[in-house]
Order: sequence, then structure tokens, then C-alpha cells
Amino acid sequence: MLTTLFKRRKTRVKSDLLREIYEDNLRIIGQGKYPRKTGKKASVVLKSVLIGLIAVLVILANGNYWSPLSSSEETRTEYIEAREPGQTAALGTAGTLDFAASSRDVQGFMDIPDMPLSRVFGLDVKTIMIDPGHGGSDSGAIGMMKTKEKDIVLDIAKRLKRRLHKYGNYSVLMTREYDKTVSLQERVELAKISKADLFVSIHLNFLPSKPINIIETYYFGPPADRKTLYLAEKENAGSRFSLSDFKEIIGKMGNTLKLQESRELASSLQKSLFVNRRKVTSDVYDYGVKRAPFVVLLGVDVPAVLTEVSCLSNRDEETKLNTELHRENIARYLEAGILDYLNKGEVIYEAKREQERR
Amino acid sequence: MKQKESKKDDNNLYVGIDLGTSRSAIVASNSRKEWIESFVGWPKDFISQQVVGKKVLFGSEALEHRLSLDVCRPLQHGVIKEGIERSEDAVKEIIKYLLKLAKPASDQKIHAVVGVPADTLKVNKIAIRNAVAESVNSLMVVSEPFAVAYGLNLLTNALVIDTGAGTTDFCIMHGTIPTEEDQKTILSAGDYIDEQLFSYLSEKYPNAKFNKNMVRQFKEQHSFVGELSEEIEVEIPVDGKPVTHNIKQEIKRACESILPAIVETTIEMIVRFDPEFQEKIKNNIIIAGGGSLIRGIREYVQDALKEYGPCHVALVKDPMFAGAEGALKLAEDMPSQYWEPL
Repeated sequence: MLTTLFKRRKTRVKSDLLREIYEDNLRIIGQGKYPRKTGKKASVVLKSVLIGLIAVLVILANGNYWSPLSSSEETRTEYIEAREPGQTAALGTAGTLDFAASSRDVQGFMDIPDMPLSRVFGLDVKTIMIDPGHGGSDSGAIGMMKTKEKDIVLDIAKRLKRRLHKYGNYSVLMTREYDKTVSLQERVELAKISKADLFVSIHLNFLPSKPINIIETYYFGPPADRKTLYLAEKENAGSRFSLSDFKEIIGKMGNTLKLQESRELASSLQKSLFVNRRKVTSDVYDYGVKRAPFVVLLGVDVPAVLTEVSCLSNRDEETKLNTELHRENIARYLEAGILDYLNKGEVIYEAKREQERR
Repeated sequence: MKQKESKKDDNNLYVGIDLGTSRSAIVASNSRKEWIESFVGWPKDFISQQVVGKKVLFGSEALEHRLSLDVCRPLQHGVIKEGIERSEDAVKEIIKYLLKLAKPASDQKIHAVVGVPADTLKVNKIAIRNAVAESVNSLMVVSEPFAVAYGLNLLTNALVIDTGAGTTDFCIMHGTIPTEEDQKTILSAGDYIDEQLFSYLSEKYPNAKFNKNMVRQFKEQHSFVGELSEEIEVEIPVDGKPVTHNIKQEIKRACESILPAIVETTIEMIVRFDPEFQEKIKNNIIIAGGGSLIRGIREYVQDALKEYGPCHVALVKDPMFAGAEGALKLAEDMPSQYWEPL
């Protein structure tokens, strides 16, 4: 009696298993009933944005340096909840700037500094840190065919690492080499400890409500520039400043350098990713280079960007991301972007030296 | 039962394929069993094609002629040999070749279940499906440790440790398809032993000339952990002359190098599981894959787990075909209506 019961249970378990496998495979070929997992990515982004926001708020303890910007892209309305009451729309939705607005914003602080310091001093890039987003218990976005962001970005990161390694003159590190949970703080720490000179975080976008494929690149912009400017003006006017104020100015200059370099890197990557992708397909949109308070970008002291190389919510794109060729191509575009940034510096630096010799 | 009937139907051939990093195996319902090493080689140029006389070579044959071929080991962990499209081609070729070995009758429909290393499956499932799809009538892809567990009828409260070449996959079975949390992959596996053995031997016998392939063969012939009464001696050329070397200690050290990580992960997997069933899992640990061929591994793991209470570790009987057998069993048990849309 008991054994027959047990047997029957086993048969049921078996048939359940068989059905699950069947459904899983249906999903792979894209015919299954796929649950639309929409909240996942949003919550992850929200989390990182929240942490970033706290950090920014600490920096901005004395006031709001952001000008209010137009916002509200439906997919990211979640951020609005994260907004501090004292801050206007811009803070909470910094991740949602449309391109026109953000470029205007970029222009705003582009005018302030004159020269990328790294180039004046001929600073070399030796260590490149690649940060594949998410990992371990945090899957990131999950596509309709159950493709996970963490797996795709890790694969792309590995390919990128291999590509950069070939040049021999850069040491290329990764924040995670396999599928493990790494907190944002740990990533930042890793970059600091290993004395990384460049920090590239790779992510995939997820826009549940839009069937489009977009590419965008973020860099962290604590809007400290105007404060620096403000302080500088005051100093020029002959006001007395304490030592700590000077320290702050110098600190901000470092920040400006990081900002500029990050922006350069971001635009090189964005350009390479988009232009190359566009050659193959017209079905891709350039969402440009944006500033956003991602904590991974804030904590790292060197040029740091976060690039959303593709869009997992797009069905065709998800299929493509499952092919080796496409992931290798993305790694190639990223490689080209990074090299473009590095070589740009080289040429200007060489030109400068040439001038000095004369 | 419906499944039983369809099995007898001569128009359908069911095959289970284990697509491994180092070896791939096929088992078919016409009771054919074959395996090849997962190497695919294409002649480098016109002359080499003349020499080898074929357009594609597989397994040991490909290795033998590797100097005149572009050799690809398609699923090698994280490494793709030159030509990025090649490794997808290679999967295609391996499947085609394996199916040929299974000798289906010309009018038979082929239904295949393919077991793939858990890690590879994550990002490559569509690519693998595409590579296999053109050679078969219908197809399902599953993760390999799951196929092994299914083949052994271990559907509940069991832990499968599948030590392959590139990775060791851990998979806890509890009556459903293993989710992300039930599976874990670590890189301590066969290839790692090869690397360790290579460096230990280079250190001890700096004058001896050997390559990675020879080291792999040493490992496959002599691997052991724990104690072994006999000595292990192999011939390695020194200045062109074959000289006998004793490599016992190096083999032991290299093989044991992967065990701490495996034991640690085993404990981690058990601890993560529902406490009520931990006892059952501990008495139902199975080591599969090439790693189960290491002499003494069962005793070693069982011994290391002792302090966590009584446990029982077993080895699969036929590691070469365990994955493929499991996949075949899945294929045969699958209700026929499930095959239709795939």
C-alpha cells in the first residue's frame, strides 16, 4: 500500500518534471507562455539609484545644484518615489534625462574646466577594471526567453577582457569572473584596491513598455563644478578661506578631471557601440551619454562609466544576445571605444609635447 | 502507457546526447552507444586537406592531425579559438557526426534530448538549439547534471556533483527542474588538474619535454587521491631519449587540488537546503563526470563530510554515458505530444 503510494508520487513528480522541461524549451524557441517580468530590473536599478542618491545627498548637503530638468519617461517613473522632498524633479529622475536635456546639462559644466589634466601630465592608463553588472543572487533583467542579464554581461566582459589583454600593455581586471554576488560597495572597493585607472561597468537595458532597442552610456556627475566655480570666484575676489575650503577646491578639481575623463570615455564607448551597431541594423536608437548617480560610478575615483550595451526587453535583441557572434561583436565595439578614448589622449599629449619642444 | 507504445514505434528514434567540454556521447533507442572527444578540426589549407583527406575531422583523429588543422574545442570554458563563428559550427558538426554514429534508418524521425553543461546553457541555449535543430526532427535542451540525475532516477533529495573538464556542476534535485539556487558551477575540474599537473611536472623535471596533451593522458591513466600502494611511472623524453619518471606525488597533488573547493561547495549547497531534508541529501550524494574516475575520490569526499554527520557518497557507474543515458531516458519518457512543437 505504502509502496504503491510512493510509486504514484514518483510518477507524478516525473510527469511534472517532463512538463517543466517541455515548457522551458518552448520558452527558448520563444513560443511558450512567458511571464513578463517587468518589475525586476526596475527594482534593481531603483536600488542602485537609491544608494547613489543617498551618496549624492550627502555631497549636496548644502543645497540643490541641479537645475530642474524635464523628465518622466514612463518606464522609470519609479525613481520619483526616491526623490528627496527638498529636491526638485531633476534629482529623482536623473536617470531619465532625455538626450537634449542632458547634453545641455553637459555643456553647462564642459565650459568650466579647460584641460583634461591626465593629458597635460601624460598620465598613463595601465589597469582597466571591467565590471559585469549584477551576478549571483541578483540576476539583473530577465528576458522573455529567460535570458539573464548577469550571464550575458559576464560573457561580454570576459570577451572584452580577452580582447584588451592582447595588447599586452594593460592589465585588465574584472569585478567578478564568474556568477557570484558582488555588492556595489565591493565593486568600488575592488577598483580602489587594484588601483584601476579606468572603470567600465557593463549592463543591459530593460524597457518593458517599449519594444525598441536602445544603447546608452552613463557616467557619474556629482554637479560639484558650479560649486567649485563659485568658490573660485570668491577666492579671486579676495575673500578669506580656511584650509579646508582649499582642500575642497583641490578635491573638486580632481573631481572635474574624473568627470571630464568619464565623459570622454562614455562618449567614445557610446559612439563605438552605436555607430557599429547601426551599420548592421537600423533598428537601434542612440540615447546618448548621460549623467546619473549610480553608486558604482561615484565611488570609483577614476574615470568610470556605466554602459547599457543592449536592450534585453527587445525580443529580437534577446535572441541575438544568445549568439556568440553578437556578444563578441559587442565586446569588439567596447574594445574599440576604450581604445578610441585612450588613443585620443595619446595624440593630444604627443601634440602638446611637440609644441613645447618648439 | 502511451510512452511505452511510442517507444516501440519504429518510425521514431530517440537519442540522448551529452555535449561535453572534453567528450560528447550519444545513446540511442536502437541501443547504439558512441562517444567522441569534443574536438573538431578543419584543414588549414588546400595542402592539409590533401594530407588528411577529409573536410572535417573529429575527436582523437582531429587531435592527431592537429598540426595541419584549425582545431576547435567548442565548449571550452570561456575560451573561443580564432574565428568566432567557428565554435557554433563545431557544435553543429559534432552533433551531425554523433547522429551519424547512431545510424538512424533513413525514414526514422529523430527526437533528441541534449544535455549541456549548466554554465554553457545560460548564454548559449538558443545557439545550441540552432546548431542541433537542423539535424533532428525535434529537440529539447536540458542542463547536464539534471540529465544525470534523471537517468539515475534521483528526482528528490539528491545532490549531483558533475566534475567535467571545464567545470564542476552541483545540482540539488527536489522534484522540480533545478532553479538557479539549486545549481552552482565552479571552475575546479579536469582542466584545472591538467594545469596544476603541468606546472608541478615542469618544476620537478625541468629537462623533460612534454605537452598539455601528454599531461592530460597521464592524468586520465593514473589519477588518484588519498593513498595508493603502487608507484606511477611514465616515460617522458629528455633530450630526445625516453626516460622513466616517477610522477606519483605530482598526480596526487594535482588531483587533490580541486577537492577543497568541491567539498566546500558541497557543504554550502547542503547548508542552503531546507534543514528538514539536509539529512536525506547527505545520504544521497552522487559524483558523476570524468572526475568520478579519480581513484579514491568517493572516500575522500565522504571523509571530508564526516564532521557534518553521517553521509553517503556514490559514484555513477558509467560516467562516460551517464549524461547521455539520462537524456535518452528523458527523451523516451517525454509524452509524444510534447515533441510536436519543438
